[in-house]
Amino acid sequence: MDLSVHLPRGLTLKNPVMAASGTFGFGPEYAAYVDINRLGGVSVKGISPDPWRGNPPPRVWETPDGLLNSIGLQNPGMDAFLKDDIPFLKTVDTAVIANIIGHTVEEYQRVAERLTQEPRVDAFEVNISCPNIKEGGIQFGHDPEQAYRVTRAVRQVTDRPLMVKVSPNVAEPWVIAEAAVEAGADMISAINTLVGMAIDFKTRRPGLGGRTGGLSGPAIKPVAVRIVYELASRLSVPIIGMGGIQSAEDVLEFFMAGAAAVMVGTITFQHPERMLEIIEALPRVLTQHGFQSLQEAVGAALPR
Amino acid sequence: MAHAFKATIVEVRAVAPDHVELLLESPELSQAIPGQFCHVLTPGMLRRPISFSRIDAQRHQVGLLFQVVGSGTAWLAQRAVGESLDVMGPLGRGYEPPVDGRPWLLVGGGVGIPPLFAALERWGAGRRQPIQVVLGARRGDYLIMQDDFRALGVTPVLTTDDGSLGQRGTVIPAVIEWMVRQPESEVMACGPTPMLAALASAVPASAGPVQLALEQRMGCGIGACLACVVPAQPVGPEGPRYRRVCTEGPVFRREELVF
Repeated sequence: MDLSVHLPRGLTLKNPVMAASGTFGFGPEYAAYVDINRLGGVSVKGISPDPWRGNPPPRVWETPDGLLNSIGLQNPGMDAFLKDDIPFLKTVDTAVIANIIGHTVEEYQRVAERLTQEPRVDAFEVNISCPNIKEGGIQFGHDPEQAYRVTRAVRQVTDRPLMVKVSPNVAEPWVIAEAAVEAGADMISAINTLVGMAIDFKTRRPGLGGRTGGLSGPAIKPVAVRIVYELASRLSVPIIGMGGIQSAEDVLEFFMAGAAAVMVGTITFQHPERMLEIIEALPRVLTQHGFQSLQEAVGAALPR
Repeated sequence: MAHAFKATIVEVRAVAPDHVELLLESPELSQAIPGQFCHVLTPGMLRRPISFSRIDAQRHQVGLLFQVVGSGTAWLAQRAVGESLDVMGPLGRGYEPPVDGRPWLLVGGGVGIPPLFAALERWGAGRRQPIQVVLGARRGDYLIMQDDFRALGVTPVLTTDDGSLGQRGTVIPAVIEWMVRQPESEVMACGPTPMLAALASAVPASAGPVQLALEQRMGCGIGACLACVVPAQPVGPEGPRYRRVCTEGPVFRREELVF
């Protein structure tokens, strides 16, 4: 079965399964564990113009079927990414999505302007939805006007395929998504993590150093499926779905809700090889549920 | 290509209340350096990082000694001989071997004791210079591996918070006493962060390398997620730089860290 996915501006994925930003490093880290050439793509960890130090530890906390994290977008900055990680990414055959972050519209634009000069960057994912930083990121994801401004600024400096990652922590994520599309986004990726908190009984304080964190893992899958469904119902651009995917059946559920491709994240920490197993199982699972092709499954559950 | 793989449990030892040691047969893991760890799959959302309590490259065996603190370690404690664990490893930066001829101080706190035993077993045999082992725990029955140290011919100095065994209080007075007698000792330690912080300031600058193995809540275990960080040098205007325990540690030099 042909699993390739054709997305706007010539972005072609050999299959619909990509590594989600923040769970797969900048590329080289998992190379010893996963044959990256077999992935549909890799969305690298969020990149800012200058290095960000991130939030104080502890940065992870397990919950029933979920994982809270408060990394705070620690990253070494775009120059380090270009120097240290792009040489590795040039040796693998998979779509490279640069996830970009900033404190200000200008910072988003700066990092896009610099990275668009690197041919190995196949597409951009604009992260306006990380709940773990005080300024930047989330403020752009909670206000359609800000979402428009930051997407517009990035669009002005790059012709590469552009997706904007939206937050589930707003009442109407599609309002933000529509603003991003109006500003020139080619795709929408959804969802980022849900804001949560856990209390440490020993210290009688929030368990995460950043106090609140972003919830991921299977606990959030129904929320993600619902938002992908809402977005696919309302928007005409492709939706990249994610949130708690653990199996090929989960991937099929996202397709039926309207996703054109998916990203897989938290499960990789437990099972680095799981994305490859999903890709391998996907044709069988599609056939089992009566679909002759991937395309046939996309949006199958949407109202007609 | 490295990967997650199965390692068979060949022995289960209840070593103390809430403390279990699993002996695993694994040619891959038995290549480990003391201070390194393996990342063990448990039913939760994350693997559990556990350092090696013993490493036997000849017999292809390693030991994992852990304290039952949550659902993941409780599940591990219920495993039986013949079952296998899904592991990644060996991972991280282990201890650098001690320099021959220099006095050597090993300090372990609680469930941080096991990697020091692995270090002594690997590098202690046939050495003539003085070796001192100081072990601390909250209470006497948590002072694990004492007999293992004695079997190597080293009598550990014991300390407990409640005074139920050995000296009452922390490991620090025994560390200071030893450093006065052997000021050029090199130091290896593992234990709770407050113990390592106290040790880092108690050991004088005259000492040889001070190598500290840290613990932190961990995600991927291979450097990708940046969850398991600790404050480290250099300290900039915004504060210390965060470095990863899983790949830049667990063993750090004292001068690399900020407590």
